[in-house]
Amino acid sequence: MRILAILRDLLRYNIEFAAGLVLVGLVAVMALLSFASPYPALDVYVVPPDVPPSWDYFLGTTSRGQDVFWQLTVAIRNTLTFGLVVAALSRIIALVVGLVAGYKGGWVDRVLMSINDTFVVIPLFPILVLFYFIMRDAMSWAMLALITAALGWAYDARLIRAMAMSLRTREFTRQAYFSGASTGRILVQEHLPFVLPIVFSTTMNNINWSIGIEVTLSVLGFTDINTPTIGGMIYWANQHTALVAGVWWWIAFPVALVVMLFVGLFLLAISMNEYIDPRSRLARMGGGA
Amino acid sequence: MKPFLAYLAKRLLQFAVVVFIGVNITYVITHSTPIDPVEQSVTAATSFGVTSPEAIEMMRASLRQLYGLEGSPVEQYLSFWRRVLVGDFGPSLSAFPTPVSTLIWRAMPWTVGLLLVSTLMTWIIGNLIGGLAGYHRRNRLLKLVGIVSMGIHPIPYYIVAFVLLIVFGFVWPVLPISGGAGMSADRGDTFGFALDVLVHSILPSLSLMAVGIGGWFMGMRALVSNIVTEDYVTYAELGGVGRRRILGSYVMRNALGPQVTGLALQLGAIFNGAIITEQVFGYPGLGSLLISGVNSGDYSLVLGITSVSIIAVSAAVLVIDLLFPLVDPRVEVR
Amino acid sequence: MTPAPLPTRRPSPAAAPLLEVSDLKAYYQMRFFGVTREVRAVDDVTFAVRRNEIYGLAGESSSGKTTLIKTIARAIRPPLNVVGGSVTFDFQDGRRDVYAMTPAQVDAIRWSRLSYVSQGSMNVLNPVRRIRSSFVDFAARHIGGTRQAFFAAVAAHLRRLSLDPKVLDAYPHELSGGMRQRLTIALATICRPEFVIADEPTTALDVIVQKGVLAMLREIQQEIGSSILFVTHDMAVHANLTDRLGIMYAGRLVEEGPTTEIFRRPFHPYTANLISSLPRIGDDVRRSGLPGAPPNLADPPSGCRFHPRCPLAVPRCREAVPPLEELEPGHRVACHVAKARATGAALS
Repeated sequence: MRILAILRDLLRYNIEFAAGLVLVGLVAVMALLSFASPYPALDVYVVPPDVPPSWDYFLGTTSRGQDVFWQLTVAIRNTLTFGLVVAALSRIIALVVGLVAGYKGGWVDRVLMSINDTFVVIPLFPILVLFYFIMRDAMSWAMLALITAALGWAYDARLIRAMAMSLRTREFTRQAYFSGASTGRILVQEHLPFVLPIVFSTTMNNINWSIGIEVTLSVLGFTDINTPTIGGMIYWANQHTALVAGVWWWIAFPVALVVMLFVGLFLLAISMNEYIDPRSRLARMGGGA
Repeated sequence: MKPFLAYLAKRLLQFAVVVFIGVNITYVITHSTPIDPVEQSVTAATSFGVTSPEAIEMMRASLRQLYGLEGSPVEQYLSFWRRVLVGDFGPSLSAFPTPVSTLIWRAMPWTVGLLLVSTLMTWIIGNLIGGLAGYHRRNRLLKLVGIVSMGIHPIPYYIVAFVLLIVFGFVWPVLPISGGAGMSADRGDTFGFALDVLVHSILPSLSLMAVGIGGWFMGMRALVSNIVTEDYVTYAELGGVGRRRILGSYVMRNALGPQVTGLALQLGAIFNGAIITEQVFGYPGLGSLLISGVNSGDYSLVLGITSVSIIAVSAAVLVIDLLFPLVDPRVEVR
Repeated sequence: MTPAPLPTRRPSPAAAPLLEVSDLKAYYQMRFFGVTREVRAVDDVTFAVRRNEIYGLAGESSSGKTTLIKTIARAIRPPLNVVGGSVTFDFQDGRRDVYAMTPAQVDAIRWSRLSYVSQGSMNVLNPVRRIRSSFVDFAARHIGGTRQAFFAAVAAHLRRLSLDPKVLDAYPHELSGGMRQRLTIALATICRPEFVIADEPTTALDVIVQKGVLAMLREIQQEIGSSILFVTHDMAVHANLTDRLGIMYAGRLVEEGPTTEIFRRPFHPYTANLISSLPRIGDDVRRSGLPGAPPNLADPPSGCRFHPRCPLAVPRCREAVPPLEELEPGHRVACHVAKARATGAALS
């Protein structure tokens, strides 16, 4: 398949892609390990608290009597799931808006872009905070995911629209149009494959963004903090003044792991972008001053 | 002049649309709660101390208006809008009876100052380094700076702020990690006070800059790499125009346009970052105010800050949009 | 357009030529994933341009003519490299080997001795600066003097070329294509260079504007006495403007001679085809293009590069590269068949 060939090329010649893949892979492994956790995720005081990293407790234990390592696996799994769900949902919105606006042009485009620009400009964080404020304990993860997705599609829709606009003038589009294909069919069958590489790299960025939102909200205690997430772990650590008490491992390891995820996804995104841009490919081949 | 007027009109319209949609979203959210918000807020606010019955009634009345629970749905909507446009959000619940607008005005200069300085510096430095990196592709130092800034860029503002807090708070405590100015600062002594403010703003600014530079760097570098292949650059080289002049007047100047647009697009995200960073460092701006408002159940304050944020950011974007023609005279081409 | 009578000029054939290109080879050299590929964009080109002469370079796109003049102007970058030959100018202050000079020395002669009029004048002027700033950037260091004196000189130059000096305050996008092209020519000639390279300056313009631009070029050439190396695929423009003409095909020079001679009696079959493709008013003969397509320069045909498309090709054409030889005074051709016909010798 063409996609596999692309991935293989990227892996071989692009060190950022390989590095990114390694980092994300490690994080994914951690997430999968969560299913092997010997302690139920929500239980507290199952192990002696405040034990530094040692052979018994690989990454130490928290002040709430949880094993940091196993908590971390569950936390990263939840955080990652949230990020993936939001990214998936917002891809759909971004694709629909971007492709339709780019293809249709005219007033449809103008209206959609006006709405799009609104969501790009409006500071989303206060709105999310307001949302939490109103909902309080009634705010479930699903709800948060939904509203985050509803706010986070704008920037990527622009990129997709740009690509769609250039596709609109191509020969094969005209052919499809004149052979009677409906707008929907043209968009899905003809344009979608071209747009996918951009979608891939924007997905990486979007996952970063939504996980960033989750971490930030959880750290402030604005989410359901009984579900273990990265932000949640930091929240509880702060509640127990972990730093002052010297329990640094409670904070350091979640931060380290989530930074690995961020940097890994970012590397994947930029290597994908570079791959798409033919000028940078030429530069790697020995051209350019 | 004509094309500029058309451009101005378009931008103003967009500004109106943004504010309209933003405030509407706010309205919808406040009306999507399943429980009686007024009683909830009143209980939450009054649980912090003793409040007189008259005060509680004032709170209730103001809240009912703010939540838009008075009168018919249309009246609710209209009175909500009136309040937002006038800036009257009633008294703050946690700092009763201080009006919310007073609290916001007090916090605003801190946020604006922090944002203005750090955003400008980040944008200028990021673009400069990125531009140089795009032009001198083989320079090792620039590559290194690039990798570092791009490495920090994807990390969310909170974590970077937090790490800086740990480093400068516990490991190497040379900078103040909280407050806008020292507790004992004498506001009368303007120069000393100004210096104190400056020192206190170093960590929050540093935090915002660390995250931001990578983004501008990448964008500018990509832009410059493309621009050097443009006809007017090649022609200038053919004309023997000096390298420095080419870099400044032909390359960087042409890259400024998209970067200014980029700044307008990023303001929302930068604002978000500033809010969170303020919270970490206890900086007395809108961010800390917002969080404390949430924690003390102060609905009026939270609503006020949200509305003001939306309007302020949109206005800032409008200003940048209006300055754009100075950077790129081809306005009607947009 | 039939050839109009050329204004009187005296190219000096006895004096040393102003530009000498000898055995110039410029190839694109690329390595991808362990494989090296060479595209022979300019292969073994030798010719000379005299003082006070307009020399035209013709050929279809991808014939290498643009690459050739960029190489002459030392405006090429890797992966395009000069692998052999030389480019030498004989300016009034001495001979210069373009590739033996340091970049600083090259920059010193740019614009003052050697200037360039570019193709696609849509985009050659800085879009965010006014026209006057381009003049300052390119010419101020050569012309010198106070700002006032400089702009006075610029205004005078523009007026001489029938351009309104007010145009200096405009931005490039505010001007029409024709206007921009004329400005580019004014810009390229303001320092009175000895040699001007013009790369398809009329290609993107409609016929009427084209006429004005060509007239401007002729006038300025007469006034300053510079030599012009004029590149275009449009044979009608060559007929109307140039003194001598060189035809390029697939990176090689295949014919060269006085323009009138070339049109009167083209020796090379490719040249003949280029000329016959020009329509003449009143002539209703069908025009036919050449079969096939220009060759792939990474893997060119053996021997004469034109042989796969040539109606006159014989087996010798595939085996040996025809050398560029003088068949008539001042008229060189690289074709086995043409040479055989001209000299009467048999083709082996």
